[in-house]
Amino acid sequence: MSTALDDIVVLDLTRTFSAALSAAFLADFGAGVIRLDLLPAEGGRGGARSAEGWNYEADLVHRNKQSLALNPGTEQGRKLLVELLAKVDVVLTDWQIDELQDLGLDYAAVEKQRPDVVYGRVSGFGPVGPDSDKPPIDELAAARTGMMPIVQQPGEPPVYTGAGAMHSTVLLAFGIMTALVHRQLTGEGQCVDTSLFAANMYGASLDLQAFLAIGHGDRLLNPISRKDVSNPMSGSLYPSSDGRWVTLTMPDTDRWWPDLAEAVGIDADDERFNTHDKRCEDNRLALIEALEAGFVRQPGAHWRGIFQAKQMSADVIEQFDYPAKDPQVLANRYIMELDHPSFGAVKSLGFPLFMSETPARLERLAPCIGQHSGVILQELLGYSQDAIYQLTSDGVIAQ
Amino acid sequence: MSKKALEGIRVLDLTVWFQGPVSAQYLADFGADVIKVERPQGGDQARGVRSIKSLEIGDWNQYFLVINRNKKSIAIDLKKPEGQEIMYRLVEKSDVFLSNMAPALLEAWGLSYDKLKEINPKLIYATNTGYGRFGGVSKPSFDMTVQALTGIMARLGEPGQPPIYLGMGSGDAFGGIMSAFGIMLALYQRNRSGEGQCLDASLYGAQLYLAAPLLQSFLAGNKGTALQQSRKQVENPLWNLYPGSDKWVYICEPNSDERFALLCKALAADELAGDKRFGSAELRTEHNEALIAALDAVTSRSSHGDLMASLDAAGIVASPVNNLADVIKDEQAWQNNYFMKAYCEEVKREVDVRGLPVALSKTPGQINTLGPQLGQDTEILMMDLLQYEWDEIEAFKAKGAIP
Repeated sequence: MSTALDDIVVLDLTRTFSAALSAAFLADFGAGVIRLDLLPAEGGRGGARSAEGWNYEADLVHRNKQSLALNPGTEQGRKLLVELLAKVDVVLTDWQIDELQDLGLDYAAVEKQRPDVVYGRVSGFGPVGPDSDKPPIDELAAARTGMMPIVQQPGEPPVYTGAGAMHSTVLLAFGIMTALVHRQLTGEGQCVDTSLFAANMYGASLDLQAFLAIGHGDRLLNPISRKDVSNPMSGSLYPSSDGRWVTLTMPDTDRWWPDLAEAVGIDADDERFNTHDKRCEDNRLALIEALEAGFVRQPGAHWRGIFQAKQMSADVIEQFDYPAKDPQVLANRYIMELDHPSFGAVKSLGFPLFMSETPARLERLAPCIGQHSGVILQELLGYSQDAIYQLTSDGVIAQ
Repeated sequence: MSKKALEGIRVLDLTVWFQGPVSAQYLADFGADVIKVERPQGGDQARGVRSIKSLEIGDWNQYFLVINRNKKSIAIDLKKPEGQEIMYRLVEKSDVFLSNMAPALLEAWGLSYDKLKEINPKLIYATNTGYGRFGGVSKPSFDMTVQALTGIMARLGEPGQPPIYLGMGSGDAFGGIMSAFGIMLALYQRNRSGEGQCLDASLYGAQLYLAAPLLQSFLAGNKGTALQQSRKQVENPLWNLYPGSDKWVYICEPNSDERFALLCKALAADELAGDKRFGSAELRTEHNEALIAALDAVTSRSSHGDLMASLDAAGIVASPVNNLADVIKDEQAWQNNYFMKAYCEEVKREVDVRGLPVALSKTPGQINTLGPQLGQDTEILMMDLLQYEWDEIEAFKAKGAIP
């Protein structure tokens, strides 16, 4: 089966998990992603390892990529970078501007040589403004975005979720694809910028947009107790008898009330709760108490059975072991079982997108540093075996 | 007016609530001609968000109007054969069909992929299902009930506390950008091959990817990543949240002797700098609880403003933990167009909206209008785009296919 991006070559200049994953995402759909591993490569391939030594992080964020290990401190290394730029369609980076400038890989320099390149960069806080030079650390961006003080229960410390970094992964990939579609039609390249700050803002969009519109409101500035939730049937949390939590999203309470009331043992005609306004305003706190008392009578499995049978928009809150075993997850390849050459049968994150004609595929796991230096120089840049041998022995490249 | 990246791309946006609409919003921001297809009675349920009480709404319906900006609206009753006939003509003239309705409902309305690709083989047919196309699960899906299954909620917060939702709309927003990315991939491929395809960006699949760093660690055998972990026990106390007397600050430093010495100096905490328990990276990890408690005691004596001034002066990487009132005034956000102003018909004034989180230098994206009135473009689209005669339009109205 064909892939969507097999006519695209991407130069991957990334350091963070989220940006490296963005390049891997393009590789999953067939782009030829060349990861530049700078020499000297101290400590080998970075990434978190399992107890057995599996670099599971690299095998996710660098899957389907090739590695070119190159020493940019040499004249020949710099020449190779220029030759490489002549062959790429996309540059994808999370480096700081001064680091890029040092290697002649900043947008201004790249554009001069290759105006048709799509140059995607994720920064910490955006390309302009007083904080444009701050490092791309997601915790810093998340702390600035306003959600950390309000997602937890009152009195608890702020919570960092990591969702913003992952949002930046897909924002950058989307921006690059949009620019590539524009380039297909016009031949024109351009610079694509996103940031961890922007990504955190979009991850928190509803509360943030609400505050932008309203401009005040204690309930948007402080954590809301789960016993004071605005709609007892939507966004609410109740403990079941085995300690597992149940959550409901039934914003249209009229539609769901009869089924829910019956399930938890409340009379659907109870005069305290028989209209939407009574449920969500007049007797809101009483309904929260009543649902709490109802849900705590049975274990999580009981509630899942009822939600399933009645096709209700509610579920039990699970830990990671649930998706790891969920047949639905495996059927859709959201998690894959794969045969690792060194570690045998392992499970790894799969592909969040289904495409009928150009599906994502796993062609290879993370490359070793310099694994493809030779083949890239030979096939992409037209070097002879002798020249490649010489560059290797001179320490310009490693393979 | 600047160029638009997606000029000439027409998108049929048969979506409701949040994930689907925000996906099409990204395409509309970059210049695609997005036609929102709505039922004549009430339209997208999100138009009624005011009455559900789950979300704070000001004097204008920001929930609906922002994610449906730059779109047109056509009202069609798809339960009627005449409505389907109009839809088919729209499909002929479009590049993308996007829906987050249940696949069974689309099938019942004659809008399956098999049917629509007969009409237009170049069509990109995108769905946002709840749980994916395979495996058979089809119960109603909302952001939080799907997030519940991924395991990401259960591991947040201090041990013993309830699970934590990542924020209203967090999973939908992520599913939305995922879907927009998928559509762009398919458009790129179609421009090469001349052929369309169908794709699905489900809420479950997106939210599992959202958990990637942690879920991948769990899959590799690190069972602890599934569990709540206290900030009082993080391995590197130099990368942690600390309380000021008013707001918290987030300190993000590697666990090195040099940075620890600098931090102690910035906080005027000489007693910690000289404490033998904290004399090396290993010792700081071994005595993490004691060090965090000691740092808590120091930081909580000062306001976050004073803390940040000292930390900044010393070159310690840190940020105040801001609230939404701080964010909406954040100069960095405004200068980068993460917030923008747009005219709102509903209240006849400029309002502040989420702007453009990704910028393209030559085709930067725009906000021209906020969300459309229900069916506001029905007649003009019927005449200009679909080229129906006025008497045909009258006949459709008489049958109730359009209002």
